Amino acid sequence: MRKITYKEALREALREEMRRDPTVFLLGEDIGRYWGGAFKVTKGLVEEFGDERVRDTPISESAIIGAAVGAAITGTRPVAEIMFGDLTALAMDQIANQAAKIHYMFGGQVKVPLVIRTPFGAGVNIAAHHSQSLEAWFMHVPGLYVAVPSTPYDAKGLLKTAIRGSNPVFFCEHKLLYPMEGAVPEDEYTVPFGVADVKRKGSDVTIVATLYMVHEALSVAKGLEAEGISVEVVDPRTLAPLDKHTIISSVKKTGRLVVVSEDCKTAGVSAEIAATVAEEAIDYLDAPIKRVAEPDTPIPFSPPLEQYVIPNEKSIIKAVREIA
Amino acid sequence: MYKKMFEIRRFEEKVFELYAQNLVPGTIHLYAGEEAIAVGVCSNLRKDDYITSTHRGHGHCIAKGAELKRIMAEILGKKTGYCKGKGGSMHIADFNVGMLGATAVVGAGLPIAVGAGLSIKLRGTDNVVACFFGDGASNQGTFHEAINMAAIWKLPVIFVCENNVYAMGTRQSTVMLVENIADRAIAYGIPGVAVDGNNVLTVYEAAQKAVERARTGQGPTLIECKTYRHKGHSRIDPAKYRPKEEVEEWLRKDPIKRFKEKLLQPNTLLETEIRQIEKEVLTKIEEAVKFAIESPHPFAEEALEDVYA
Amino acid sequence: MVTKVVMPRLSLTMKEGTVGTWYKKEGDIVEKGEPLVEVFSEKATYDLEAPASGVLRKILVQENDEASVDAILAVITAPDEAFQEAEISVEMPKATEETKKRVLASPAAKRLAREHEIDLSLVKGSGREGRIVEEDVRRFIDEARGILPKVKEVIPLSGYRKTSAERVSTSFRTAPHSTVVMEVDVSKVMALHYKTEVSYTAILMKAVAESLAEYSVINSTLEGNAIRIFEDVNVGVAVATEDGLVVPVIHNADKKALEEIDAAIRELTEKAKQGKLTREDLTGGTFTITNLGMYGVEFFIAIINPPEAAILAVGGVVEKPVVVHGNIEIKPMMMLSLSYDHRIVDGAPAAEFLQKVKEKIEKSLEIEG
Repeated sequence: MRKITYKEALREALREEMRRDPTVFLLGEDIGRYWGGAFKVTKGLVEEFGDERVRDTPISESAIIGAAVGAAITGTRPVAEIMFGDLTALAMDQIANQAAKIHYMFGGQVKVPLVIRTPFGAGVNIAAHHSQSLEAWFMHVPGLYVAVPSTPYDAKGLLKTAIRGSNPVFFCEHKLLYPMEGAVPEDEYTVPFGVADVKRKGSDVTIVATLYMVHEALSVAKGLEAEGISVEVVDPRTLAPLDKHTIISSVKKTGRLVVVSEDCKTAGVSAEIAATVAEEAIDYLDAPIKRVAEPDTPIPFSPPLEQYVIPNEKSIIKAVREIA
Repeated sequence: MYKKMFEIRRFEEKVFELYAQNLVPGTIHLYAGEEAIAVGVCSNLRKDDYITSTHRGHGHCIAKGAELKRIMAEILGKKTGYCKGKGGSMHIADFNVGMLGATAVVGAGLPIAVGAGLSIKLRGTDNVVACFFGDGASNQGTFHEAINMAAIWKLPVIFVCENNVYAMGTRQSTVMLVENIADRAIAYGIPGVAVDGNNVLTVYEAAQKAVERARTGQGPTLIECKTYRHKGHSRIDPAKYRPKEEVEEWLRKDPIKRFKEKLLQPNTLLETEIRQIEKEVLTKIEEAVKFAIESPHPFAEEALEDVYA
Repeated sequence: MVTKVVMPRLSLTMKEGTVGTWYKKEGDIVEKGEPLVEVFSEKATYDLEAPASGVLRKILVQENDEASVDAILAVITAPDEAFQEAEISVEMPKATEETKKRVLASPAAKRLAREHEIDLSLVKGSGREGRIVEEDVRRFIDEARGILPKVKEVIPLSGYRKTSAERVSTSFRTAPHSTVVMEVDVSKVMALHYKTEVSYTAILMKAVAESLAEYSVINSTLEGNAIRIFEDVNVGVAVATEDGLVVPVIHNADKKALEEIDAAIRELTEKAKQGKLTREDLTGGTFTITNLGMYGVEFFIAIINPPEAAILAVGGVVEKPVVVHGNIEIKPMMMLSLSYDHRIVDGAPAAEFLQKVKEKIEKSLEIEG
């Protein structure tokens, strides 16, 4: 199968969906003619679809999402880009109070087919305002779906599902994943929401990981295989809906769980998954659940400081060894 | 227009009454006193045009053509309400008449109206959006972001500021130095007009121009309608912060009273005709109240429905 | 001096105990070291001795009452010493409901135990801090059912045992084994043995070493896609030790005299039993002899000692009726089996080699020469 990057996979999804459905359009800061997106995801799309459908906006995050909401409830399918995940804080009312609640609050009268794409993740030395991983904020909002693709295949398939859906989707990307290559079929496909992917089969320990951490977990699994520790790596792919079934089935098999997530540990993604397993499958746990996440600090700038806080293979291996 | 205004006034009075009987859960923000604005603006709109509304939104719903009985049922938390009891007084929408919903977050409706305008533009129809908001909302960042965005993209949005002098208990003059919110339009390069919001004909005319501009692709307009709420901010607010003289002066400028006087001038309507209109309205409201009271509450488990489409 | 008599900790896990009979009453004179009171823990009964001489001044915990470890049970003072109870911080013993030892077990282990109605306190834990994990319960169930044999003791693989375990499994997995068998007449070997007092093993080794020198294809190894034939004939002999099997090597056995071989074998066997073999003693073998004759084994087939090409398994000497020129004679016979790596050696050369060994053994006296 051909290999393309995560970024190209996202672009393909956007292009294909825009060709398929004329009501799909993009808006965001510098996504269009002059820049093609801060991470170039939308590069080249304006040439095919024009400025109207690949719309550069003022630096007005709240209005970008608000406009996307208004457009979504009146017959179009907007895909809004927030340049950095951290900046979603500026648009939080429109995301959490408007986009997420309109369907419910108005008694199901209207659908909100809206996608908000944004990159999370640290590792490129851009410090506290451009490096956070805030997936958990959005998991906490009923009415939002939260996608966390870790591979080009998942990125394309999930984005297409997001665009075609009837609900607001918070689509988390990761800066370090954009250049990563992976197999993506030429043929049409989508990846359903709420279906985790077992990225590697194993029998001794389950690692649930998301986004970039999936790759760290896979390297760890490979390394530990030589020692006779068989690690299963489960990638939820969407945090809302969360495929509890696959996670719990894996834990039932292995009896051991390590949850790896790049966000802060307290009340984070890992907390939710750990709690779910503790609540619904504690009788199958043969060891304490381990969480590998960022310490509760903002992301620091200086490379040694930054590397210290990001979970990595070493910290994952340590957690696995503690229970395996 | 008189009928609609009267309908709103009597409806709000009825809601107030029901609230006193503990039939209305939560709180209410009455539109009484501001009827000329909703009616003056919406009378320029087609059914397939859109509006966005606020926590003080009953009047907008009625003016845009939503059904009284379903509004009332929603206010009473009934299953037959517009939102199946999930929205309540502050969150009513009727997408069948282009009422895109009331948001109870001050200023949150402006970007949504911009989005509706953008959608109209992208889909290539000639609809327009009227966006209602208060003087308080004009100090939100969204006001700036949304109007600017609508301006640069020449979107068919009419921003209607209902300046009722107070944002909750805070007097407008203490939180902004410009006298007319309409003046802020200059900053975004669009027309801004301040009108007497208690004169339905003035509002109508201003809105007519703005709608015309919007429909013909000339972009948005900011209309500031100076008005006054007859009651406090919400049901629990006795509005002691307002000087008695000020309240009395505004009550004298009651939009319904003024419009009625105008209508009774020679060559317009006869008093009997007005009575007839009023009688019809009262019957309709009684029917709405009966419907709402007799309607069942939703089943508790329905709380879990409609989170996702 | 006021001396406190406290509830002793009778085991590592003991949290509280029960007071039994007081052998002394309040006011009695006690001698240091004499039994003072009986105490019980879950596991033991114990006579607590007086920690000091003096008068048993006050008993604080009565018979059949429980007290936590370190609780003061009584006070001993000098005969005329003034004593007020307030002087000691009396931690009154608390009898608690929870006297049962808390069993540390993982939730999965607990679930499995619940499902099979197993008392977890009977299960031995193998997890962290002795925690019982699911596998422990599973094993316990299987043992209880008799599916799995009950484990008496667990000996971790180490030393020779570990090495030999790895080597035999490697050999068995990688080298396709085939075996040729011959019975040999050892009358002359016996004669030689009695005459020279050289061990049978030494004589066998001499015969084998000389045969290897002639049939060098057996004295070889497979490395990648090539068979490497050795010039040196280094014959190992398998020795059983308490720690497992070892194979010390007699280097250049084909060039050594019988007595030299015999002396070398004796030395290496002794070193092996004492665990004193050096790296040199254990390295460089090109062929191995293994002998179970002394255990009454008549015949067996051995696993090749990798990376060698073959191994000779030697059975015990048995007197058998043998037909010689039409007459039945009674002769001491021995079974030899040669296991060989079929990748290196085929049946015919293996048989020829064994034939040569047989021939040399049956003419043992020539060996001596």
